[in-house]
Amino acid sequence: MISSIKKTSLAEIKARLEQHPIEAVIVGTGISGAIIANELTKAGKNVLLLEAGPGTNLTLQGYNEFLSNFYGATSKDNQAPYPVNPNASMPRSTNLRKLQPGETDSATYMVQSGPYVTDTNYTRVYGGTTMHWEAKTPRMLPEDFKSQTLFGQGVDWPLGYDDLEEFYQVAEREIGVSADVEDQSYLGVTFPKDYVYPMKGLPLSYLDQQVAKRLDGTEVELYGQRYPLKIRPFPQGRNGIPNDKYDRGQGYVPVGAVSNHQIEIGERCQGNTNCVPICPVQARYHSGKTLAKAFQRATGSIHLLVQAVASRVVIDPVSGRVTALEVKVYKDPKSSEHETVTIAATIFVLASNAIETPRLMLASGLRSSSGLIGRNLMDHSYLLSWATMPEICGTMRGTSVTGGIIDLRGGAFRRHQAAFSVDIHNDGWGWAVGSPYSDLTTLVDQYNLFGPELRRGLINRISSQLLLAFMIEVMPSESNRVTVDPQYTDQLGNMRPVVSFTVPEYTMRGAAYAREFARTVFARVGAADQSRYDPGDYGYVAYNGQGYAIRGGNHLAGTHVMGNDRNRSVVDTNQRSWDHPNLYLVGGGSMPTIGTANVTLTLAALCYRSARSMLDQLQ
Amino acid sequence: MSQLEPFLAFSAEVTAFPIVELQGTGQAESYLQTVEDIVGTQRLDRLLVLYQSLPLATREDIRQARADRLRRDIFGSDELGPIARNIIKLWYSGTWYELPSAWTEAYGPAPQDVTFVVAPSSYVEGLLWTAIGAHPAGAKAPGYASWQWPPHIPPFAGDPAATPR
Amino acid sequence: MDSSDITTLEELKSYLYSAMQLEHATLPPYLVALYSIKPGTNLDATQIIRVVAVEEMLHLTFAANLLNAIGGEPDLTVPGFVPNFPTYLPDGEQEFLVHLAPFSRQTIENFLQIERPSLAPSGVNKLVARREHGPFLHLGTHPRQTTMRYYSIGDFYKAIEDGLVYLEGEAQKQGKTIFTGDAGRQITSQYYYSGGGHLHPVTDLATAVTAIRLVIEQGEGQTATIYDSQKELAHYYRFDQLIHGRYYRSGDAIEHPTGEPVSVDWDAAYPVKTDVKLADIPAGSELHQAAAAFNQAYARFLAEITEAYNGKPHKLMEAVAHMFEFRNAMTVLIRNPLPGSNGLYAGPTFEVSPEAAGAPQAGAESLEVVA
Ligand SMILES: Cc1cc2nc3c(=O)[nH]c(=O)nc-3n(C[C@H](O)[C@H](O)[C@H](O)COP(=O)(O)OP(=O)(O)OC[C@H]3O[C@@H](n4cnc5c(N)ncnc54)[C@H](O)[C@@H]3O)c2cc1C
Ligand code: SF4
Repeated sequence: MISSIKKTSLAEIKARLEQHPIEAVIVGTGISGAIIANELTKAGKNVLLLEAGPGTNLTLQGYNEFLSNFYGATSKDNQAPYPVNPNASMPRSTNLRKLQPGETDSATYMVQSGPYVTDTNYTRVYGGTTMHWEAKTPRMLPEDFKSQTLFGQGVDWPLGYDDLEEFYQVAEREIGVSADVEDQSYLGVTFPKDYVYPMKGLPLSYLDQQVAKRLDGTEVELYGQRYPLKIRPFPQGRNGIPNDKYDRGQGYVPVGAVSNHQIEIGERCQGNTNCVPICPVQARYHSGKTLAKAFQRATGSIHLLVQAVASRVVIDPVSGRVTALEVKVYKDPKSSEHETVTIAATIFVLASNAIETPRLMLASGLRSSSGLIGRNLMDHSYLLSWATMPEICGTMRGTSVTGGIIDLRGGAFRRHQAAFSVDIHNDGWGWAVGSPYSDLTTLVDQYNLFGPELRRGLINRISSQLLLAFMIEVMPSESNRVTVDPQYTDQLGNMRPVVSFTVPEYTMRGAAYAREFARTVFARVGAADQSRYDPGDYGYVAYNGQGYAIRGGNHLAGTHVMGNDRNRSVVDTNQRSWDHPNLYLVGGGSMPTIGTANVTLTLAALCYRSARSMLDQLQ
Repeated sequence: MSQLEPFLAFSAEVTAFPIVELQGTGQAESYLQTVEDIVGTQRLDRLLVLYQSLPLATREDIRQARADRLRRDIFGSDELGPIARNIIKLWYSGTWYELPSAWTEAYGPAPQDVTFVVAPSSYVEGLLWTAIGAHPAGAKAPGYASWQWPPHIPPFAGDPAATPR
Repeated sequence: MDSSDITTLEELKSYLYSAMQLEHATLPPYLVALYSIKPGTNLDATQIIRVVAVEEMLHLTFAANLLNAIGGEPDLTVPGFVPNFPTYLPDGEQEFLVHLAPFSRQTIENFLQIERPSLAPSGVNKLVARREHGPFLHLGTHPRQTTMRYYSIGDFYKAIEDGLVYLEGEAQKQGKTIFTGDAGRQITSQYYYSGGGHLHPVTDLATAVTAIRLVIEQGEGQTATIYDSQKELAHYYRFDQLIHGRYYRSGDAIEHPTGEPVSVDWDAAYPVKTDVKLADIPAGSELHQAAAAFNQAYARFLAEITEAYNGKPHKLMEAVAHMFEFRNAMTVLIRNPLPGSNGLYAGPTFEVSPEAAGAPQAGAESLEVVA
């Protein structure tokens, strides 16, 4: 898709501000900000987008530089493609360490005040975290919206599945989801009659099929109930085969790569196995695709200011209304030199994610009358279990994940322990132990192999790897939170986020069962368990005499929770702040619970819903 | 440049990839350069001369003798072994791995000896992925839906497993 | 002269067969140029050539759909289907030869010749008289004026369009249709798609004409504008951007792109020996084996596509996956020095059948435009 997205210079923005009042300022170009921007410009509103990152990836050249950074990086972690930017830093997993009780580690951008050390992360570049998300897009289960009523856990949502269903559809269209309704109708998830996803489901990997062959049709028993198991494909936000039945037979036209000149390469997913951290062909959705539409439609009424870090929300003490946003605009990521500008608008939308949005509010001294800003931080906890399959399975091919087990996402056992969704990783033990590099160094340096024995050894060892990643539910807890502290600031003098987190016991019970469940699966498929959790691991959690290395889930939520009661929530069901009537806090932070769904589809659906309310307010 | 031929011959034997495929990565010169820059031309020369003096493997018993010599004289050498292993890892992953500290203490210093990816393209050309019938993450994509079929693992000379396990 | 050059169904089929041959003939040169680019360099050129190559695959498939729609049987395995490089284009253009050559200014100029826009705005002057040169399948020649050739690919496709309209008109007069092919043989976007456009089934005159127009537009563009009706830049202008060192943007005049600069490093390519043959590679060497293995793999690929075009559309997906595989085989060849060639490199030879021996002689050519 050719797009006319342009950065606007600060001078131009200032000149425009005098003539054309801005109706909405949106902080962040991730999927939340992009959806709001696109919806508001559709209605002809005058929008200014602020992005903390440099926006070099607006061009294909810049996008490809990210790819080249990744190729050249020694550590191929989630942030490998994205250059270090001290003016808009991001969390990075490579230099985390285990904390002693009571200790705080401020060595990385996101200060870890423990006790649990999370390697969860997000990206502060144009396109936000969708630049490196994996793009699994399951809906939440109907029962997830009522977990207090049904299971006595967490809280109920002020909305139900039925309220969100139509918005799920819109979000699935925008993201371009590939899936088949037959595979996704389970545990109460329903679709309107005749609904089909925009594109057909991606086929299961050969590895998935080898597991399915032996596992499908078997059962597990939990608290007296039996749960049948089946390997199913996940819905995915990446281009597959368009379904001609979509939209009552109108079909669906996938969006390919976006760039500001004609050179598009919009193809279907080619199986680069690199969705995280960057899809080389842009087959996978990123929010630049949504923004391209907004810019194409409304060149004159949408503007993008990059290298612009929202630094303070200014409030009129009497009315509580936001009067302006203070923004630090820097010239060069390497230097702290910047200009502070004050931007006024009719409404303000903070779409800077569930860590950065509460960080900005707290740094502005706005704790909300409920006191809940920054609290109830949620993220899925991941537990990995890995094994060797009894035969060559062609691991290291396909999208990061094609299939998994969702049968324990729901059920009566949730009274007692957390639910989980299981991914079969097509990239082998990479996440757990750094395969395939670690396999190479082990065979060469430790096993002393070379020549044909080495080559065969690598085939046998890598191509049969199986890794199960358990994505375990985490319920809200007020003590799990983001705060700020004036002793921890970044290069621009903005306070950094400080995270305190304890993995809840409910989740750990789920983790302990997950480990047992993994053993059962390995036994049924005849795989040799290779899992081990090192007590020195930064994410090591001891529970009931056993230890587990728990990984962060990158599914941040809960920190500006929505509700019907202004004393028990930060925003209403339109994601509008109770305290500040022209301020919207949008994104995962509004979600009261997250169940076992990767959060983005749901937060996107919420953004579509909120855009309506914003348009009403702007009438 | 004169070292390129023996360097390729040695590399082919220890990686079990034919020279055509090593050349086909487009990385031969830069790998040779990397090794020379880090451990010095003379030391690499010594490794290659030693390699060229090994008995030619024409018969099965000589083949065994050759492998033993390779093991004892090169891979088993405190000085040359780590270099030989690093050459294998270079070809397979495009990464130069920092030499063990014992090596640096005894034979160093080697100021450029840090773990690094030689070039973005050397990652892409890593033979690890060719060997297992896959592709490096983020490059040389195999095409939509190709992951649903069994892997095509390329056959190679001397494969100890006549048929894949 | 007739309003249509094509007056029988058999002629139409042979034209469509040539069309397939034509679309395919551009693939090997585009791929060799593409993969000769040194990794990490010439990013713009890489994207441009890649997108064009992908669209040629789409066009090939459209030609197969057209042929299938009128009851033909696409066959990419007949001897001579793959040209012996250097070659003339199968539509009959003979002012230039198409070479397998590394990325260079000269090569891109060659591609511009391939994709050149029609000279003939309304079908006038589209035929030029040319002298015969060497052995070549002349399926694309004017059926009744065998010394005539089409000036450009666009003119050639226009003749097909006229033929379709004419023959279907004649058939309709008798209450019949020429679109008698089995719809199950059509390849749709379900089996193949690219950014380059929606692949729709051809089942009647309207869908046939849409397909042809898309191919013409994507190839050389319409005479009046550099962008096609889907706001896409035609191939000619995509390549032209490399010569001018600038991207086109909408509103630009032909030959005057004013967009962002395109950086081109003409030297950053492996100097592949132009039109390299197996015979140039020392017999019995590893390199020779690799080159021969590639040719076999390529022949297999053509057989798979043929199968896909003949009632097994789902096979196309597998074939495309194999295409990704032999891409790697091609780069291996291109990066190997060619012994005894003074610093040149080897490359894929695309000799898929023994028949493909003996190159046409490039000689003095006469070109005279006939009305
Ligand atoms: C490795 C990984 C894998 C993931 N996989 C999945 C998955 O499979 N499925 C799924 O549903 N979710 C997944 N996620 C989560 C998903 O990426 C996020 O939920 C989603 O992208 C959040 O979108 P957002 O727009 O709310 O926030 P973000 O995308 O984080 O956007 C925030 C934006 O605000 C900007 N910003 C921040 N602070 C400021 C400031 N002060 N001033 C100006 N701009 C600012 C940032 O630069 C950024 O552009 C994954 C995340 C990661 C990290
Ligand atoms: S598998 Fe590859 S092509 Fe597909 S979405 Fe992921 S990175 Fe992109």
